[in-house]
Amino acid sequence: MDNVLEIKNLHIDVKKDDSTYNVVKDVNVSIGKQQIYGIVGESGSGKSLTALSIMGLLANPPLHVSKGSIQFEGDRELLDMSFKEMKKIRGKEISMIFQEPMTALDPLFTIQDQLMEALKFHTKLSKSEMKQACIDIIERVGIPRPKEVLKDYPHQLSGGMRQRVMIAIAMLCNPKLLLADEPTTALDVTIQAQILDLMKELREDFETSILMITHDLGVIAETCQRVAVMYAGEVVEESDVVSLFHSPKHPYTKGLLKSMVSGNRHDDLYSIPGKVPSVEQMPSGCRFATRCPHVMDICHTQTPPVQEVEADHTCQCWLYQEELVKNG
Amino acid sequence: MIAYTIRRLLMLIPVLFGISVFIFLIMKMIPGDVVSTMLGTEATDESRSQLEKQFGLNLPIYQQYYNWISGVLVGDFGVSLRTGKPVLGDILNRFTLTLELTLLSAFLSWIIAIPLGIIAAIKRNTSTDFGVRIISLLGVSVPNFALATLLLLILSVFFSYYPPSTYVSLVEDPVKNLQMMILPSIVLGTAMAGAVMRMTRSTVLEVLRQDFIRTIRAKGASERVVIFNHALKNAMIPILTIIGMQIGVLLGGTVIIEQIFSLPGLGQLVLTAINQRDYPVVQGAVLFIAFVFVMINLIVDLLYSYLDPRITYK
Ligand SMILES: Nc1ncnc2c1ncn2[C@@H]1O[C@H](COP(=O)(O)OP(=O)(O)OP(=O)(O)O)[C@@H](O)[C@H]1O
Ligand SMILES: [Mg+2]
Repeated sequence: MDNVLEIKNLHIDVKKDDSTYNVVKDVNVSIGKQQIYGIVGESGSGKSLTALSIMGLLANPPLHVSKGSIQFEGDRELLDMSFKEMKKIRGKEISMIFQEPMTALDPLFTIQDQLMEALKFHTKLSKSEMKQACIDIIERVGIPRPKEVLKDYPHQLSGGMRQRVMIAIAMLCNPKLLLADEPTTALDVTIQAQILDLMKELREDFETSILMITHDLGVIAETCQRVAVMYAGEVVEESDVVSLFHSPKHPYTKGLLKSMVSGNRHDDLYSIPGKVPSVEQMPSGCRFATRCPHVMDICHTQTPPVQEVEADHTCQCWLYQEELVKNG
Repeated sequence: MIAYTIRRLLMLIPVLFGISVFIFLIMKMIPGDVVSTMLGTEATDESRSQLEKQFGLNLPIYQQYYNWISGVLVGDFGVSLRTGKPVLGDILNRFTLTLELTLLSAFLSWIIAIPLGIIAAIKRNTSTDFGVRIISLLGVSVPNFALATLLLLILSVFFSYYPPSTYVSLVEDPVKNLQMMILPSIVLGTAMAGAVMRMTRSTVLEVLRQDFIRTIRAKGASERVVIFNHALKNAMIPILTIIGMQIGVLLGGTVIIEQIFSLPGLGQLVLTAINQRDYPVVQGAVLFIAFVFVMINLIVDLLYSYLDPRITYK
């Protein structure tokens, strides 16, 4: 199966007070056609930056992609595209929705205006065709009374409705890839489930691939086929979802799973001790070394290599370097 | 909305009433009076009391106030004690000049300040931004009279240009009128531009940092659409607030600038009237200025709700 998106070797750096720090390191992700691919990790692990770099929307300065490649539909290198070329892709071939539905819409424009805008950028439909397209998509994302809602302003809608509007805007031009950056984090649990169901349906109807970013393994379990676990800017483990849940390899993944199983998803009983290192104080060896229960000497000095520990299941951890395990 | 407007207009009544009492009492309290300024200190008691009687100044103070305000209510602001001409006519006459000056200054300031403010925001922390910020700082901190004098000096010394010195109205001779008005407008506009530029820069910057801007970019918008359709519209409310205040102040007359450029505006009228203790003129003019000021406030408030659907007045 051909991949819709292939991220290879992605490095993102941030400039702070004349020094450059690395925030995303050597990320490799391949998203298949109609696949829902998950990225999971704690706050600050570089999930949003990875997604924004696909859109070419990193806040530059201070952030920039220092190395790597992002290929869309096999042969189109997104990182080499001009602003003009990216503009044509954004909102049409690749769309994005965000975490905070309350602030993601312009408060001064009606829902219809904000939908129409995307159509104006990318299609040559007549005004009445555009209106019809807006009504259709609003209906499709499960908003009741579409004609009235189109005339509303964002502040007149609930958070869940606004997120549906965001999804409608994103799906309006039938994109091949939807980047969903924590689309349900700000919503309460029942609404969360509805939104996830909606996204799964839309993926089938529109034949869209989805990159699902979340810090919640529950969301991954419910929606994704493959998943990358990110920690401090690196993908520490990557596999299909079943394999990840059944035989997690990386100590960080195990920690995440433990915190998910032991608590209800929101106020965790167990949480991994310590916190994500700041960009200025990134450990030079394994980035998880400071919090790892199985830490060894080598972890502090050398970055572990990425290893295929099972078929199609990679992990970046010294524990799985066979010679080392044998010797030590 | 209409109900709100009507309520706001009704609320003007106590405000303007308060102001009228206040200004009336102030005028009574400042030392010196019209009779002494007219007759000099040598005047006989007889001629003094005759003049006082003629102006109604011998009546008890509440009676004087009543006579004045009851006239005002039916549009009769009285006559000037000095010229004998109706006060309202004088005020309106002067006001047309002040209004023209204000609009011209405001227009000049906007066409400079808003684009520069936007450019500074887009190119923040570059030399362009730095330059704009210096200009705006100069704009707000150089005193009007200094800039006016400097401008006149440069024009006369280096270009031997002197603006016309007798005022003609816009209808009489538009060209000559504009020649007279352009310099004071530039001076006043510069000061206004400084503040507007600063406000535009900071609010556009703030809006550009908001989440919804990212959504618009993610839809495939060009920077032009992001800035002009969205960022500027969202930045308009704070900018409008400043602009409203500036216009309100300018419409009250600008004594110094009118003096320097010999323009017979509202400021000059009030100043002369105060010096001569010409009570009806001062009272009428102040009341009129207060009225204009609160009306501008009302208009700005109504514009808010027009611009921002979240602001509704009931
Ligand atoms: N504009 C920025 N300037 C400087 N540093 C930034 C900027 N944006 C992100 N970072 C840094 O990059 C790191 C990764 O950020 P990112 O937003 O990708 O995290 P995330 O995984 O999406 O977390 P969250 O769950 O909080 O959204 C963070 O540690 C943050 O400090
Ligand atoms: Mg994020």
